[in-house]
Amino acid sequence: MAFLEVRKLGRDFPGVTALNDVDLDIELGRVHILAGENGAGKSTLVKLLTGAYHPSRGTIRIDGRDPAEDAELFRNIAYVPQELTLFPHMSVAENLFIPFDRSGHGGARFDRRRLEAEAQEYLDRFGIAARPSDLVRTISVSDQQLLQIARASTNKDMKVLILDEPTSSLTRSEVDRVFRVISGFKDGNHAIVFISHKMDEVFAIGDDYTVLRNGEKVEAGRMSETDVGGLIRAMSGKAVDFEETFRPASAPSTQTQGPAILEVRNLTGDRFRDVSFTLKRGEILGFAGLVGAGRSEVMQTIFGFLGAKSGNVSLDGKPWTLGDTSAAVKNGMLYLSEERKHHGIFPLMSVRDNIGLAIYDQTSGPFGISASKEKTRVSDIIAAYDIKTASMNKEIVFLSGGNQQKAIIGRAMARTPRVLIFDEPTKGIDVRTKTEIYRIMKRLAEDGVGIILVSSEMDELRKCASRIIAMHAGEVTGSFDTEATDNETLVGAIFGTEKNHAA
Amino acid sequence: MRRNPLSLLLANPLAGVFAVLVAIFAISALVSPYFLTGYNLSVVARALAFIGLVTIAQSSLLILGELDLSLGVIGGLCGVVAGLLMVNYGLAPVIALPLALLLGAALGFFNGFLVSSLGLHSLVLTIGTAGVYGGINLVLTRGVAITNIPREIQVFGRGDLFGVPVPFVIMLVMLALASYLAAKTPFGRYMYAIGNNPAAARMLGVKVDRIRVLVFTFAGFLSALAGLLMVARLGTAQPSIGETWVLGPIAASVIGGVATTGGVGTPLGAIFGAAIIGIIENIIVLFGVSPYWQGIVSGAIVVLAISFDAVSRRYLRKGGA
Repeated sequence: MAFLEVRKLGRDFPGVTALNDVDLDIELGRVHILAGENGAGKSTLVKLLTGAYHPSRGTIRIDGRDPAEDAELFRNIAYVPQELTLFPHMSVAENLFIPFDRSGHGGARFDRRRLEAEAQEYLDRFGIAARPSDLVRTISVSDQQLLQIARASTNKDMKVLILDEPTSSLTRSEVDRVFRVISGFKDGNHAIVFISHKMDEVFAIGDDYTVLRNGEKVEAGRMSETDVGGLIRAMSGKAVDFEETFRPASAPSTQTQGPAILEVRNLTGDRFRDVSFTLKRGEILGFAGLVGAGRSEVMQTIFGFLGAKSGNVSLDGKPWTLGDTSAAVKNGMLYLSEERKHHGIFPLMSVRDNIGLAIYDQTSGPFGISASKEKTRVSDIIAAYDIKTASMNKEIVFLSGGNQQKAIIGRAMARTPRVLIFDEPTKGIDVRTKTEIYRIMKRLAEDGVGIILVSSEMDELRKCASRIIAMHAGEVTGSFDTEATDNETLVGAIFGTEKNHAA
Repeated sequence: MRRNPLSLLLANPLAGVFAVLVAIFAISALVSPYFLTGYNLSVVARALAFIGLVTIAQSSLLILGELDLSLGVIGGLCGVVAGLLMVNYGLAPVIALPLALLLGAALGFFNGFLVSSLGLHSLVLTIGTAGVYGGINLVLTRGVAITNIPREIQVFGRGDLFGVPVPFVIMLVMLALASYLAAKTPFGRYMYAIGNNPAAARMLGVKVDRIRVLVFTFAGFLSALAGLLMVARLGTAQPSIGETWVLGPIAASVIGGVATTGGVGTPLGAIFGAAIIGIIENIIVLFGVSPYWQGIVSGAIVVLAISFDAVSRRYLRKGGA
């Protein structure tokens, strides 16, 4: 019998059935892939498995016993959420062992030295480069991600470890570190539940899989018996064409042709130096690089969110005011941040307010905002971008990540931008929604919008961008024509091994 | 889902505080025969007018995610400046009063400007400016009230309009203005957006700094208005005006559903909160509670009121959700 066994599990929310009739078997010593599109019910299932929600119907058995009768059983299940939930101003060691009683560090007196000595063992095992006494805010994002996994494992009762997109902000080599840790757990007679939208990772690490769609289990089995196409078909209900590309037909064929819409000259900021490039009307210009290469900082500086040290930008040949986001928006530039939570949504506000905020010029009359106009516009946008929500008055935090992203994109599109900067637009987004976002970008470019796409996924850049600019450690290391450049050259530029100005 | 009118009413975020207000009003009417008299109600309404204006100001700032602890002091300083202008410099009220209002707006602007341009924490900054503004008040008056305020302005403090105290009417007009701004104009909606997530608001192209400064300015103006009405009510410009306008409006806002973390609540809810506190204070006086005990009793009832509201909200969320 499986260690964790779920039968006919269901959970209702007012007006929606989030999960229905789900079966799941998690066996020790194996990695179980939990797959599904955004909003398929993965988060709800995880919350039921960790005891955060109570089931509306069905049963959960942990080690053959019912956690509804003995909540202590939930201690066997550890969950590492996608977002970082560390305490930035506390030390690595403290973060590792919080909550202290669970990790055997409870009691009246707090022994910092013992805590840090013990922490070192975990840091070694997980390959975390930081020292136990370092403050978490000073260590790298990948170390933080690993620290979060390590923290879950300091729970002495942990048997099942649920990892929700643990690799979404990691580079290839850091992903390998996470995978080594996961393999270590397999030997230790633990079970891993792995949630990811990255197909290569899922097939590299998974033993078993369960696919959810619209809150129901649609398929389960051994990874060896399926393939990428099969898994995606199960998740989306239809086949996805992997070979489809989304490079706009309107893109100027070479770098020297086509009208420039945005010109950046020698721009220097806090985390980048001497960046110059030209964006042309109707093209999608890709920006490749590692996390921390300075791409987001460049974009946020052009947009006016961060201050520039030197350099200049012109739009349609006219000089551009740096440092003023409202001027940028007024001139038709929009920036969609990778940090949806921090820079995108207004969490306590409804979907209607979140979208409505951007379109008051369309909904206000002489007596203020017209509620009926706003409702009509917002419901048009919800329909046009297929945003799944029970009602426009629902708070946006209750929507899945993909639907939040679609709301933000829909809100931006409603302002008919001329230059649009997408920063990691498909982070944490499922395969089919990704394709929808690519199509939107392509259509906009063909309508004459200039688009910048910042992405860490080489595949995404190759599919969408006609030109790719590579950055490494705050400097531009190359500019490439996508068609004429192979992956090795691009990867070389990303790692800064060669200065290259091909094509 | 079809919902009946009652559940719609309960779903309104103001339902909890409104229920508490009605309950406290009803209890007061039952336990004291003097509560429902015209005279007593007008006393309550008049008192609510002054604290209410500051509450509108403070709740607007809280929605924006800011706080101004100098609002009461601004009211006091503008009151004595108006008094000085009229009494010592012989300026006509039509000139002196607008000047004092302008001063209030300027002091609020100064707070907002420092918060925006230097990125200061408004709580800490306004502890400082409250000290400065209060100090100017004492330097100007040496702690002595200014008497002989022209009689013609007393109508603003003591007069009635169709039986309703004039300052209360003025407060209602300001409440209507603030509510309209908050609910129906882009400016007001951006206030909520900034209170919710200032970085995201900037990313949207909202002029965050400008809105911040304007709300601080508006708050300073409302506090000055409260101070002037108080001078008109008392007939003297007391340096101590506004001393008690610091914590009350914050408590009223929170009781009325305004989150101290920003982005949530309405000025109307905050006024309901102020009315709850006002009625409690009134009933304590009607019962002849010893002044030494008044603080304990009114404080305890405030704690009860917000606890009741929190519990009922949790219950509604579970039942309704």
